[in-house]
Amino acid sequence: MNSPETILVVDDEPQIRRFLRTSLAAQGYEVLEADTGQDALRQAVAGHPDLIVLDLGLPDMDGVDVLHRVREWSSVPVFVLSVRAREAEKVRALETGADDYITKPFGMAEFVARVKSALRRSGQGTAVSQPVFTVGALEVDLGRRVVRLNGREMRLSPKQYRLLQVLVANAGRVVTHHQLLHEVWGEAHTEDVQYLRIFVRKLRTWLEPDPTRPRYLLTELGVGYRLRSPDQFETC
Amino acid sequence: MNAQIPSVSRVAKHYGGAAGTVAIAGLIAAAITVFVPQPRVSVLFLCAVLASAALWGVGPSIFAALLGAAVAAFFFYPPIYNFGVDNPQDLLDLVVFAVAAVLIGMLSDKVRRIAAVMEDARVRAKTDELREALLNSISHDLKTPLASIIGSATSLQSFGTLYDAKTRADLIATIREEAERLNHFIGNVLDLTRIRAGDLTPRFEIVELADIVDSALRKAACLLASHDVRVSLPDDLPMLRLDLFLMEHALINLLENAAKFSPNGSRIDVTAETAGRDIRLTIRDRGIGIPAGDVPHVFSKFYRGETNDAKPAGSGLGLAICRAFVEANDGRVEALSNGEGQGAVFRVTLPAADAAYSELMVADE
Repeated sequence: MNSPETILVVDDEPQIRRFLRTSLAAQGYEVLEADTGQDALRQAVAGHPDLIVLDLGLPDMDGVDVLHRVREWSSVPVFVLSVRAREAEKVRALETGADDYITKPFGMAEFVARVKSALRRSGQGTAVSQPVFTVGALEVDLGRRVVRLNGREMRLSPKQYRLLQVLVANAGRVVTHHQLLHEVWGEAHTEDVQYLRIFVRKLRTWLEPDPTRPRYLLTELGVGYRLRSPDQFETC
Repeated sequence: MNAQIPSVSRVAKHYGGAAGTVAIAGLIAAAITVFVPQPRVSVLFLCAVLASAALWGVGPSIFAALLGAAVAAFFFYPPIYNFGVDNPQDLLDLVVFAVAAVLIGMLSDKVRRIAAVMEDARVRAKTDELREALLNSISHDLKTPLASIIGSATSLQSFGTLYDAKTRADLIATIREEAERLNHFIGNVLDLTRIRAGDLTPRFEIVELADIVDSALRKAACLLASHDVRVSLPDDLPMLRLDLFLMEHALINLLENAAKFSPNGSRIDVTAETAGRDIRLTIRDRGIGIPAGDVPHVFSKFYRGETNDAKPAGSGLGLAICRAFVEANDGRVEALSNGEGQGAVFRVTLPAADAAYSELMVADE
């Protein structure tokens, strides 16, 4: 690795910034800090961060508005911090272009793993640049449109494959119900979440060793689905 | 309760009722006159006044008194069919009746006011009791983990260099575990506040039980890490119409409860079945069970079971919240136990969504 990657941490709580700064610096990242939305926008321009960690509850601006402004000119990955029971806010942030979110309070091991995976995704453009995606026993060959589980080829319907394709392209991050429905079924069906549920159920019976305890295709309740990327692990 | 402003129609109803009691008294008096000439009918009218006072208060009772006096004078005291009263004895009778009736009306009103004040005091006392219990619980459940956190952190700060790696790791683990306990407790208190504020308007969606179970298991993964959790859900369960978050939360609380009251390494089973138009979800642990007499109380606020080993006691809120959340989803939750040492079973019954949704197996292209 050449110069260290820079992470901009935006949170109005100094204690939160302190432990994020300490742990991210220990991982070898350069850390910038902002405590208001205005300051965040300034530093996002001046500091050329490789990733922004953005708390949604800022004193001067709505965090989603900050994200919106950043997205007008930059595709830098944005990692959103949110509090419990604000699912609508998470969905809004994801649809405004956030790459991932984590709910406060969170453990550092998981946070760092997800920061790394967001940086890696942005580093390689999109995940699709790798023609074969592998997680656990699941293998999706995007070039040849073939899905294998434990080396055995699976037969998927076109819509099932399309759904998997969208999830693979976004591997590691949450894709909202709305985004998935839009991609797979089109504009007319973006509210038909039950279509999606039924398809996910079918996909799981194909892909998961135990569909009732999914290991690859994870439900983010009330938000969407996440296909686990190879470097993601569940921590305790 | 006390400061009710009676509506016009209610007032009319009360006075009508008072007139009705007088009419009934009059009819009975008339029937008696057939057998007994010149009865002391005023006693009957007094009964009408008493009834009006008890049922409708001072106004209607005085109205009944005046009406009763008029009816007695007109129909029963000679000259009959005339408001005049000839016999001085009868006149005295009527006056005594009227005075007694008005006194009764006023007394009854006083009794009602006293009853209202007492009811008020009782409700207030009960609220105070609840507030007290909540405050006690909060100060205990906040202070205990905070004491461990501050103790461990200051100990690391002041003497960290003197400890070996294991001691330091223990202290750090304590800080973390206690902080998580604090977080969990605060979540419970917030939920309880939501329930108490009547702010439990479920956002119903058509969902699969498996999704909720999966999400709850992942969120409770740390609590369940030292248990052997086995899930068995049939593939063909109908869809449910639920508020995802309320139900997920109810489930997390049940799983947490199972983990807390059963030994590490023991098995917890999560199963589901269709029961008529309902879905029944069962969580069974192999823990200490519930003493028979306590089964009806496990869902009460501040009921705390005894944990047998070093596990911290709960806040006594988890199951109360669970029940409130399940009921907000039109479901039921019940506790079953064969007694102490026999494990506990919690059964949640939820109505299935309309069959139309379950059969909506969208044509795949």
